[in-house]
Amino acid sequence: MNRAVKWIGGVVLVVLVLYLPRLFSLEYYLHIFIMAAINAILALSLGLIIGFAGQVSLCHAAFYGVGAYASALMGLHFGLSFWVTLWFGGLLAGLLAFALGQLVLRLKGHFLAITTAFFGVLVTVVLNNWVDLTKGPMGLPGIPRPMSGSFIGLNFTFESRAEYYYLAILFVVMVSYMVYRIVNSRIGKALIAIRENEELAQSIGIDTMRYKLFAFALGSAFAGIAGAFYAHYILFISPVTFTIGESINILVMVIFGGMTTLTGPILGAVILTILPEFLRLAGALRLVIYGLALMVFIVWMPLGIVGTLKEFLSQRTTRSRTA
Amino acid sequence: MITVFFQQTLNGVILGSLYMLVALGLSLIFGILEVVNFAHGEFYMVAAFLTLFIMVKLGVPFLVAMLAAMLVMAVFGIIVERVVFRPIVGKPMINGMLVSFGLSTFLMNLALLLFKADPRKIDSGFAHITITFLGLRVTLERLLALILGVFLVVLLYHFIHNTKTGKAMRAVAQDRIAAQLTGVNVFRIYAITFAVGSVLASAAGAMVGAIFLVAPDMGWTVVLKSFIVVILGGFGSIKGVVFASLIIGLVESLGGGYISYAYKDAYPFLLLVLAFLLRPEGLMGGSKS
Repeated sequence: MNRAVKWIGGVVLVVLVLYLPRLFSLEYYLHIFIMAAINAILALSLGLIIGFAGQVSLCHAAFYGVGAYASALMGLHFGLSFWVTLWFGGLLAGLLAFALGQLVLRLKGHFLAITTAFFGVLVTVVLNNWVDLTKGPMGLPGIPRPMSGSFIGLNFTFESRAEYYYLAILFVVMVSYMVYRIVNSRIGKALIAIRENEELAQSIGIDTMRYKLFAFALGSAFAGIAGAFYAHYILFISPVTFTIGESINILVMVIFGGMTTLTGPILGAVILTILPEFLRLAGALRLVIYGLALMVFIVWMPLGIVGTLKEFLSQRTTRSRTA
Repeated sequence: MITVFFQQTLNGVILGSLYMLVALGLSLIFGILEVVNFAHGEFYMVAAFLTLFIMVKLGVPFLVAMLAAMLVMAVFGIIVERVVFRPIVGKPMINGMLVSFGLSTFLMNLALLLFKADPRKIDSGFAHITITFLGLRVTLERLLALILGVFLVVLLYHFIHNTKTGKAMRAVAQDRIAAQLTGVNVFRIYAITFAVGSVLASAAGAMVGAIFLVAPDMGWTVVLKSFIVVILGGFGSIKGVVFASLIIGLVESLGGGYISYAYKDAYPFLLLVLAFLLRPEGLMGGSKS
């Protein structure tokens, strides 16, 4: 019965996701959905680092930016296709995270969070000041669109939002699948062990540093890929998109949904991309309300939506069992 | 040439004393509530605006306005602790970070809405009095920042080490439950910690508003640098914070003067990396994790 509900729910979800561009054909709505998908990749990958490995990174947007700039610059200067530069964006972000991780992942808790936050600031400072390469605060305009191509008989030209939408969904599915496989493997078990008790994990022979580095580098590489997609979708990037504020936004999405699940970060990203659009009506009050809502939410629902829901359901089942 | 060097050094020391006031409050709150308060910079911003408005509306001199702002902010700190931070004490650290980030966003944007983005300046009346000493020129205003910093840190040191409340604060920082068992009212200590932290940040905010500018977004960078000070200094140590904030101030001032001004916000991070490589346990030794 429960299984059937899950299956039907899954099918409905898939149909809905695929049919969405038909339901909301307005460019503006599609743009929001695409951004939700990009944020879902960012939240998922940060969820791997924070939720599973238990390492609080406050520089996720920096790797998002590194991926975006790397891919955009390669496209602009060497005329390489998005399908090639995309991987370089991810690779560079991953390598940078690997190098940073060597230095900072031996720190714990608050110290790690603050250090990574400052690394995020460093990246913003460099993006703003390395004018020869990045054009500084002016940003990079004229990033090429992905090269058109055909896939199982369908032609993609990337002139319309709908095509970007489907590509974004494909990325979300791929990243979700990879994170799912990792989390449900030996590596995932090791990561959770590290999150719960690092000393204990080490004492039973887990090379904690290696696993932490793996999660940090891979999660950051996914952020780099999301950045590359963003750059070739918006076709313009500037440092303001990749600040520490954005890092914290992604973190809020992860926490909002529930960080120790896979559906949580995706749900958090979708809700927190769509909801603030309504707040646009509030104009200048928007961020004031956002800050207030964030405080209220954390104080009242510290487990996130999915976590709170799970706890509520398990309480109900145990209650009905005992009754 | 050598005069320029000493001038930059003096500026660095003054800058350091301002970071120190913010970092001391952060370190106290961090040590006692185990919360990273991202909104601490906004306390400093609110205090700067308060000082400005008290001066303009009531027409009182700068020092009186600053003192009044410090008192108001002490009450503000106590309220914020009670409403925002107490519910999340003992919860996972990310909750504390996000709550304080929410508070920071709220206060910064409220200030932006009320006071608009254009920066203002507090006219302390001390800016035009210049003191020349051994060829070094310093305005009385900047000198006042240094004197205030030294005065407040000595006062804080005395308070923490020689009063009963200070002893209770140290006890809570070491072991909350043990402190509670010996009859320390932990919630009272939390409130006092926030009040003290806010007062220190207010002093820094008012001085920065006079020496530099008052703007709604002034708190954000200072709070990150102050965190670096706390990490470098090894927290719970007033001496460590004083030492580390002087280093950060000097590095920023000398680096900005001699290497590149545009990258001045990046130097503290490089210093932090260097410190990790050389002394993973913190500059002043022993860090509790």
